[in-house]
Amino acid sequence: MIKASLRGLLQRKLRLSLAVFAIVLSVAFLSGSLVLSDTLNARFTALFSTINQNVSVVVQAKDPQAVEPARLTDAQLRALSEVDGVKAFSPDVSAQGVIPFRGTDGEPVSADAALGFGVDGKDDPLGLVELREGRWPTAEGEVAITAHTAELAKVKRGDQLKVYLPVLNEPRSFTVVGVAGYSGGRDSLAGEVVVMFQQAFAQQTFYGATGLYGGASFAAEDGVSDDVLKQRIVEQLPDGFKALTGQESSEEQSAQVGVLFDVFKYILIGFAVVAGVVGVFLIFNTFNIIVAQRTRELALLRALGAGWGQVAGSVLLEALIVSLVGATVGLAAGIGVAAAGEAAITSEVALPSAGLVVAPLTVILAYLLGVVVTLVAAFVPAVRASSVPPVAAMRDVVRPDKSLTALSIVGAVFALPGIGLVLLGAFADLGGTAFLVLLGGAVLVFIGALLLSPLLARPIVRGLGALIGRGSAGNLGVRNAARNPRRTAVTAAAIIIGVTVIGMTATVVQSFKTSLEDIMGENIGVEVMIQASVTAAPDGRQGFNPKALEQVRAIPGVKEAAAWHFDALGVSVAGQPQAFGIFATDVGQAARMFPIDATDGTIRTLAAQELVLDDNIAETLKLKAGDRTPVAIGGVTRDYTVVGVYQATPIIQGILVGEAAVADFPGPLAFQGFVSLNDGVDAAPVVERIETIMKDYPGVQVGDRQSYVDQATASYDFLLIAVQILLLVALVIALLGILNTLVLSIVERTRELGLVRAVGLSRSGLVWMVTVESVLITVFGVLLGLALGVGLGAAFTKALMTLEFATVIAIPWLELGQYLLAAVVAGVLAAVIPARMAARLNVLDAISYE
Amino acid sequence: MTTAAPPLIRQRVETSAARASQVWKVYGTGEAQVVALRGVDVELERGRFTAIMGPSGSGKSTLMHCLAGLDSVSRGQVFVGDTEVTGLNDAGLTRLRREKIGFIFQQFNLLPTLTAQENILLPLAIAGRKPDQEWFRTVIDTVGLGDRLGHRPNQLSGGQQQRVACARALVSRPEVVFADEPTGNLDSRSGAEVLGFLRRSVTEYGQTIVMVTHDAVAASYADRVIFLADGQIVAELTGPTPERVLDTLKSLDRPAQLGTEL
Ligand SMILES: Nc1ncnc2c1ncn2[C@@H]1O[C@H](COP(=O)(O)OP(=O)(O)O)[C@@H](O)[C@H]1O
Ligand SMILES: [Mg+2]
Repeated sequence: MIKASLRGLLQRKLRLSLAVFAIVLSVAFLSGSLVLSDTLNARFTALFSTINQNVSVVVQAKDPQAVEPARLTDAQLRALSEVDGVKAFSPDVSAQGVIPFRGTDGEPVSADAALGFGVDGKDDPLGLVELREGRWPTAEGEVAITAHTAELAKVKRGDQLKVYLPVLNEPRSFTVVGVAGYSGGRDSLAGEVVVMFQQAFAQQTFYGATGLYGGASFAAEDGVSDDVLKQRIVEQLPDGFKALTGQESSEEQSAQVGVLFDVFKYILIGFAVVAGVVGVFLIFNTFNIIVAQRTRELALLRALGAGWGQVAGSVLLEALIVSLVGATVGLAAGIGVAAAGEAAITSEVALPSAGLVVAPLTVILAYLLGVVVTLVAAFVPAVRASSVPPVAAMRDVVRPDKSLTALSIVGAVFALPGIGLVLLGAFADLGGTAFLVLLGGAVLVFIGALLLSPLLARPIVRGLGALIGRGSAGNLGVRNAARNPRRTAVTAAAIIIGVTVIGMTATVVQSFKTSLEDIMGENIGVEVMIQASVTAAPDGRQGFNPKALEQVRAIPGVKEAAAWHFDALGVSVAGQPQAFGIFATDVGQAARMFPIDATDGTIRTLAAQELVLDDNIAETLKLKAGDRTPVAIGGVTRDYTVVGVYQATPIIQGILVGEAAVADFPGPLAFQGFVSLNDGVDAAPVVERIETIMKDYPGVQVGDRQSYVDQATASYDFLLIAVQILLLVALVIALLGILNTLVLSIVERTRELGLVRAVGLSRSGLVWMVTVESVLITVFGVLLGLALGVGLGAAFTKALMTLEFATVIAIPWLELGQYLLAAVVAGVLAAVIPARMAARLNVLDAISYE
Repeated sequence: MTTAAPPLIRQRVETSAARASQVWKVYGTGEAQVVALRGVDVELERGRFTAIMGPSGSGKSTLMHCLAGLDSVSRGQVFVGDTEVTGLNDAGLTRLRREKIGFIFQQFNLLPTLTAQENILLPLAIAGRKPDQEWFRTVIDTVGLGDRLGHRPNQLSGGQQQRVACARALVSRPEVVFADEPTGNLDSRSGAEVLGFLRRSVTEYGQTIVMVTHDAVAASYADRVIFLADGQIVAELTGPTPERVLDTLKSLDRPAQLGTEL
């Protein structure tokens, strides 16, 4: 039995290789993602181990992101340094976002990590940083920089260096008195930019007072283990601090950095999932057709005494072998993908290279994915194979097309409640739960549609065929596509899945964009936007100094300039945490620049301890004009009066307070600025002048209204592109599925092909016939997918409209047209090999083909 | 051959529907080499019903395939009407099949996706020609399928399917209809219906038909029977009866010929 199925496997290897390919893709994405993240993790662990090579124990604030992180005083530091077993120690005075400007053109040096340190004028007691030339800074106006920083900023010892200081909110000029490097002759550890200041200056600037430290690193005396020293230090540790061994610190830091690369990991895992789901259909189809073709052989085995279990087992065994081959190749390909990804990332962040990490778990998961996907897909075909009656060996047992009724009823059982839920989610005002309802409904509709797709295949394919299936060859192609609706539907399933997702995303994104453009275009008097870098901490510690707006107001043509502050850290209103934060601005001015309609109370410039909020939040918090409510900002809770409630719009929503509240914000910097112009003033030159003013605040962007829309939609566009790449993956697999189906159909219909050739169909006619069939299958899939995707996308948008996130449902016709076109191209491509196969058939051989 | 063809040859070209001249067909090479046709000369007259007979493996199908341009010859020439088939490329052969030839195979003559009527009209549809309604009616009436035209092949009996195949072969009025054991899979009554219909199309409408068969009764419907043995024409009968055909076959059925088959 096993031998028989192995032999069969070899004979069908060409056919099965497509199924293998689907597994390969899926497994490759999964294992690639895992290997990449493990490798990067190992890489960063190695990096931080270098940093901590002489460090036994690190003391640091428990919550470094806190508004007021804990600091060590001089006395506390001394106490720790006197702990028995400490050989050397190095205090930490540091800040992030300390950005130097290039000496040549005055532009900020772009670096992902830009750090400032305070140094005490002596060499690093832990021997990580080494002075290469000059000396350490000893006065306020002096700095030392690393060799890598010197190279990026294009300065050398003795030059002036302008450096942006995040807490002072402004750049200052310093004299470079020294250039340093790292032990082992390295210019940087990972491409970071480092400026070292005189310690007292750094403490004053970063922490607001001298004699404070962010933490410290300790080296143990010989014979004292890291753990023992940590234990001793913990006993002396002030509140708000934690102690880690060097090893623990390395692991924690590399895990934190690793999170930054998780997005790659999740994108690849997303691909793996799509490839896996789509692969199930491809494999299902392959095995189904193979079983159909092997009916005689299977019946013979049954006639010779094989039990149905053995027959089903032989199909599953075949599937298992296919999956193992696919998973092995996929794993190898995944390691290749990871190697490429790793090379790209490490070249970007200047990490030294090391080997790839292929964890046992990766290998196990890769094989598990391959095997599970294949066996799930092959299960139904295996059962079908086992139901072949032995008598089929002797004669053609006509297996009538199974009726689609049962399948369609099941489909309807899924689809109808699904549609109900989708409509409910879209139209009923359910607040946040609307999306859960919608999601549930969407999944049901989707499953229902896949089950109903065989029923839809025939009418849709015929309808389409009337358009493109002109001529007798085309007509034959149409009939072939409509001939076996199950096969057509299963083949198209991969496309339906991919296109539904993309259609939905595209519709939501388009609606968002159109809504935004609508509002921006019509109602607001804002011409120029100033925006803190998107990666800025949303708490007022990054952004621009609102004082800079005074210069902006002085620009001829500028009518008004408004600064908006934003804080999303630890803000709560009426005891409820506000994840979307709180805005501080001159609300009266905002009402002149944006359409803000009061639904309750008044919208005006606010005094201290007054707020206004949008109607959705007011409803959630059960607040109305005149109410008093506690508001916690920056760790301070005060009672605020609700002055007004306004209608939320996609542009303005949330809780607004007056500028007086900024004093409570963790930082004084403005997050956004809005500028209106006098009538007839051209925005372009104003934008340019504001850019010059904002140059001192690295990361702050200035743009006109359109660029604001573009920026606001950029993240949606990114989403759309990610989904489009996913679609591409699905399309490639779908294309293989169609190719697979067509090849199998051609083998099945060899005699028919011979016959039509014998009665005068030309080779090109045959090619056209196969192409029409292929294109019809793809276009069927795309149309169904687009209908589903646009429908669900519109429903999601409708729900978003209820929540004021959008104003219109916009259908992205252009994109939809492009997807349709891509499908036609894919259909034509998928037909190339099968059509050539068909055209090459010798007429006589084809007719006498058994 | 191009300009100054002798009158004799021209006359021959005009009267024959298909002609083979010194046709050799060799399959395979070396050890596995089989010579299926050994210098066959045959001429099939217009408006006549010719049967090709012979023991199994004698080359009947090969000869027919070569005449119809379905298979290439190793040596020699084949003409259908005044077209030389040997040397035509695929496009030329396609055109030949569209315009001059009709086929009836032993089985699997019809496309399962098409109705009987669509199957009958398929060659015309492929050639992009309009059917001659009157002729179509005549053909349908002759094969007696009037009420079955909307059915698909799997709803028709074997005999009905073969009659649909006959109608399809005739509807485009080809120069020659080639039929390879058209009744081979039918019971004798359905076979007789099909043969009777072929006979009528020759007698009443002047169709030229070439039929391969190993059945003496089937051969007796023809005007002329050509006997093949071991790839050569070894005998010929005109105005055959089943008895005379059987006698001729018996005289040819010698053990020596069986040997060459193996
Ligand atoms: N495609 C082929 N390849 C090799 N030998 C063939 C092929 N077709 C036919 N033959 C051989 O040629 C001879 C004649 O075959 P065929 O014309 O089919 O005989 P008939 O139709 O009279 O039974 C036989 O010996 C057969 O084995
Ligand atoms: Mg034969």
